[in-house]
Amino acid sequence: MKDKIDQVRADFKEDIISVSNKVLLEEVRLKYFSRNGLYASLFDEFKVLPKDEKPKFGKLLNNEKQESQKEFDELSEKINSNSAENKESIDLTLPGKKTEIGTLHVLTQTLNEIKSIFKGLGFSVYTGPELESDENNFEMLNFPDDHPARDMQDTYFINDSFLLRTHTSPVQVRLMKNSKPPYRAIMPGRVYRNEAISAKSYCLFHQVEGLVIDTNVTFAELKGTLVYFAKQLFGEDVKYRFRSSFFPFTEPSAEVDIWWQPKGKEGKWLEILGCGMVDPNVLENFNIDTEKYVGYAFGMGIERMAMLKYGIDDIRLFFDNDNRFINQFK
Amino acid sequence: MIVSLKWLKDYIDLDGISTETIVEKLTTSGSEVDEVIDKNSEFRNIVVGYVENVEKHPNADRLSVCKVSDGNETYNVVCGAPNVKAGQKIPFAKVGAIIPNGKFEIKKTKIRGEESFGMICAEDELGISDDHDGIMVLNENVKIGTPLSEALKLDDIILDIAITPNRADSLSHVGIARDLSAIFNRELEPPGISLDYEVTTKNDFAEVIIENEIGCPRYSAVVVKNVEVKESPDWLKEKLTNIGLRPINNIVDVTNFVLHEIGQPLHAFDLNTLAGNKIVVKNSKPGSKFITLDSKERSMLQSDLMICDGGKPVAIAGVMGGENSEVSSATNDILIESAYFNASSVRKTAKHLGLSTDASYRFERGTNPNGTLMAAIRAAELIQDITGGEIIKEVIDVYPYIIEEKSVSVRYSRVEKILGFAIEANKIEDIFIGLDFSIESKDDKSITVKIPTFRHDIEREIDLIEEIVRIYGFDGIPAVDNISVSLSRKIDELDFEDNIKQNLISIGFNEVISNSLISDYKTIDYDNSIKVLNPQSAEMSRLRTSLIPGMLLNISRNLKVKEEDLKFFEIGEVFSSNSKEIKSFDDFTENENLIIALSGNKQNKDWFGSEEKFDFYYLKGVMETIFSDLFRNHKIQQEYITENDEQFDFQFIMMADSKKIGNGGKVCKELLDKFEISKDVFLFEINLSILKNIVDRKNKFTSLLKYPKVYRDFGFILDKNISYNEVVKTISQSSSKLLKKVNLFDIFESESLGSDKKSLAFQLEYYDESKTLRDDEIDAEFWKTIETVKTKLKAELRG
Repeated sequence: MKDKIDQVRADFKEDIISVSNKVLLEEVRLKYFSRNGLYASLFDEFKVLPKDEKPKFGKLLNNEKQESQKEFDELSEKINSNSAENKESIDLTLPGKKTEIGTLHVLTQTLNEIKSIFKGLGFSVYTGPELESDENNFEMLNFPDDHPARDMQDTYFINDSFLLRTHTSPVQVRLMKNSKPPYRAIMPGRVYRNEAISAKSYCLFHQVEGLVIDTNVTFAELKGTLVYFAKQLFGEDVKYRFRSSFFPFTEPSAEVDIWWQPKGKEGKWLEILGCGMVDPNVLENFNIDTEKYVGYAFGMGIERMAMLKYGIDDIRLFFDNDNRFINQFK
Repeated sequence: MIVSLKWLKDYIDLDGISTETIVEKLTTSGSEVDEVIDKNSEFRNIVVGYVENVEKHPNADRLSVCKVSDGNETYNVVCGAPNVKAGQKIPFAKVGAIIPNGKFEIKKTKIRGEESFGMICAEDELGISDDHDGIMVLNENVKIGTPLSEALKLDDIILDIAITPNRADSLSHVGIARDLSAIFNRELEPPGISLDYEVTTKNDFAEVIIENEIGCPRYSAVVVKNVEVKESPDWLKEKLTNIGLRPINNIVDVTNFVLHEIGQPLHAFDLNTLAGNKIVVKNSKPGSKFITLDSKERSMLQSDLMICDGGKPVAIAGVMGGENSEVSSATNDILIESAYFNASSVRKTAKHLGLSTDASYRFERGTNPNGTLMAAIRAAELIQDITGGEIIKEVIDVYPYIIEEKSVSVRYSRVEKILGFAIEANKIEDIFIGLDFSIESKDDKSITVKIPTFRHDIEREIDLIEEIVRIYGFDGIPAVDNISVSLSRKIDELDFEDNIKQNLISIGFNEVISNSLISDYKTIDYDNSIKVLNPQSAEMSRLRTSLIPGMLLNISRNLKVKEEDLKFFEIGEVFSSNSKEIKSFDDFTENENLIIALSGNKQNKDWFGSEEKFDFYYLKGVMETIFSDLFRNHKIQQEYITENDEQFDFQFIMMADSKKIGNGGKVCKELLDKFEISKDVFLFEINLSILKNIVDRKNKFTSLLKYPKVYRDFGFILDKNISYNEVVKTISQSSSKLLKKVNLFDIFESESLGSDKKSLAFQLEYYDESKTLRDDEIDAEFWKTIETVKTKLKAELRG
């Protein structure tokens, strides 16, 4: 009799190890504790034992059964608390058990959109460091020392020769230093401007610049490419204009405006990007033959694109990272 | 730059061209009009009013109640100015007017019980001057009811134009008119002077000596005697007022007028304050002090160019005059300075003084070396007209090396190569003539022009091409319909990051983007952090060495707005110095890091379950999930630190090929306190720059398993201090390669086990790639494993 009791107890212990849901739990209950279960049959056997043996085995059987019952109840509670289906009758109108999905920052989404437009036109994507040399950020790009052109980009300096890049053009510099034309690439990345923080400006923003250098490139191609870009991003009927401007590294230089017409408000021209033909001085800095090769370059702010696209009115929202803001762009 | 449309029309006939067209064409040709201010509309509902009657306010001592007529009706107006009197003509802002200074609207109101239907304005309220000494009293001759803009001749349109740094020639009314003349093909009529002068370097009243000819290539001066310094005539005051300048006196006003007319900065000295009647242009004595016109003492450097008289400095060349030689009401004779200073020299001086003036702004960008004398005479003639003084006809001009006009050629074929579009030769010629470039020679291939010396920006063929397209208009260039693309290999250097980002959002993380400039106080690894030389504020003075401070700031902000369940990640650059001074790229490291952070609940209370908080194991699991596939060929190890350090209570470290690539855990209270965070935060930061180089993402196919997997479960009772890792290690070491996976599926501690014991239950997965395993093979191995664990770890097998 003792062997039988021990065997049932051992089997029970073995069985409950793998019980992980209420179906298995019920199987165990039926096997051990139901009217026809193993403990019931042990008690049946107990009933027919000789009288002198009863006290000895009775105590053992009771103890063992209680121990098993206790373990079973503990397990049962554990499983039932995880399994609401058990408590409820089936109500298919209950809300589903949602899984969570995160979201890319709206600036990354906007960059991805810009990237995919240019990748579709055969552009590569290059990146570079944010802490740059004056040489890569200014000198090689035809910004003379002590020239007011340097004031166009308020700069954070580390010292006389290092700074936080003010544009991603140093990535172009690195590309031209390390390889030969033709080039067709965009350079996204973080840039810094030493400006007071307000709704309109932040101490940093993100840029996408582009560089194309080849033997047959023209301003007309630059215009065609950027018009295509504007239409892809803002829609086929976007109204745009090119206006003359000045950048030390391009000539002729232009800025592109699009006509912005918010509902119920006065429309206006808004600048979306700067562009131009790469200045021969820049090409010469990299020993590129200016008679043979012509290039164009352009640059835009991702924040500005996102603000236009989604009607965001305060640039600081991008960097405050309020979950309520981030989740709007799922 | 502020430009008056009315003033522009003195030099070019713009009849028949609308303001809109002017603004549009100026903008597209490179002089971007930022704002158009119509003075008429600015003064809408402000008219000449007549004060019929003034009575004391019954309830207020300092106020009066006036009856003001606008010619049609009489209004009750409460006024606080002490100088209001019956019979005055005054600027009357009627109900509905917007007061220019302050932009508030006049409404019908009650002041201390008296009704008021408008306001009598002071000069400062109208934005005319800073004067707030009572209300403005108008000339008696103006007609009652006339719009104020008309009465004050403020009926002008003002353009605020952004001039790019290459276009110093556009920093004047004549400069803008010149571009308009080229754009609209209308004649430019610049101001003229009489030719009745003799040029010398020294006359009976003054002498000019240039000691530093590089800093000052030319110095012209004209003496005007017996001037009467007083208020300027109305026409001059109006011109200056309209472009936002405050009239001072007739001498200063004329020099300002000429600066804004033709772009040449001038300075008038009181001749009698100049010792020895001399002007000497030379460098400053090092360390000397100088008091400028604004009564501020300035410290000068030896590199600063000064204008001196026979003994002392009297002006900072190209920047600002000195108090000691200022024109005052007592001045009789003046010397007008009109010089050409070296742009870079003026820029350096203005920069170190932190002083930008109308003059320095123009000199820095380059003025016209060949326009100095004409400008001085222009000013002298105006002063003579206005004050009745006498111009000394022997004008002074020191100009040792004459700066000649440059010749530049452009090939028509090059225009077409750059633009992708041909512009006719005669159109190009017209553009050049419109811009005052004289044609030197031309043939059917190219054209050569002389570039006036006010155009410092034109030296090369490409500069001329820009002029052509600028005036021609970019709109005229057709956009191409198709492009050709080289078939060289394309690269996307953001692929790696994009992939990680995609994985993280797919498991519910939101991406954040934070400022890389942080405060000293919040900097981690302060000693190796890099300081910005010229920060906006102490809050943003150091480059982040870690993404942790930015992340904690984000969490802190979110907790404040009750966003409490947070799963964030960020990828960004971090910076640290390797040396005391940064002289080369080797002296610092810039890395790309990834941080993930968790705070709050993983699972909120819901109908199917109770709430569950994020914990260390969730953090660890995310890192293992995201990075497990990236390192096929590299050994990833983890190390654990249970003692707290400056950032974490406890943490784990990830190592790849024995190199530390990242660490993270439960953020300690001291750090959270700095960011005012009172909830648990778990975060992990990892160096992607290292990871990128060792990662192995080449997926390879292996044939799918054809034979069944076999599972064996067992539980052990062990000492509590034996780690999971130790058990797994023991299991692995005692097994053959048939064991493929060890899965811990239960941990159990209870009184019945004993307080120093725990129970761990494992499932072992076995299979062989080449055959079906027999039960006896597995059992032999399984029991061997169990025996090893039992003996090595003093474990007791359960059940």
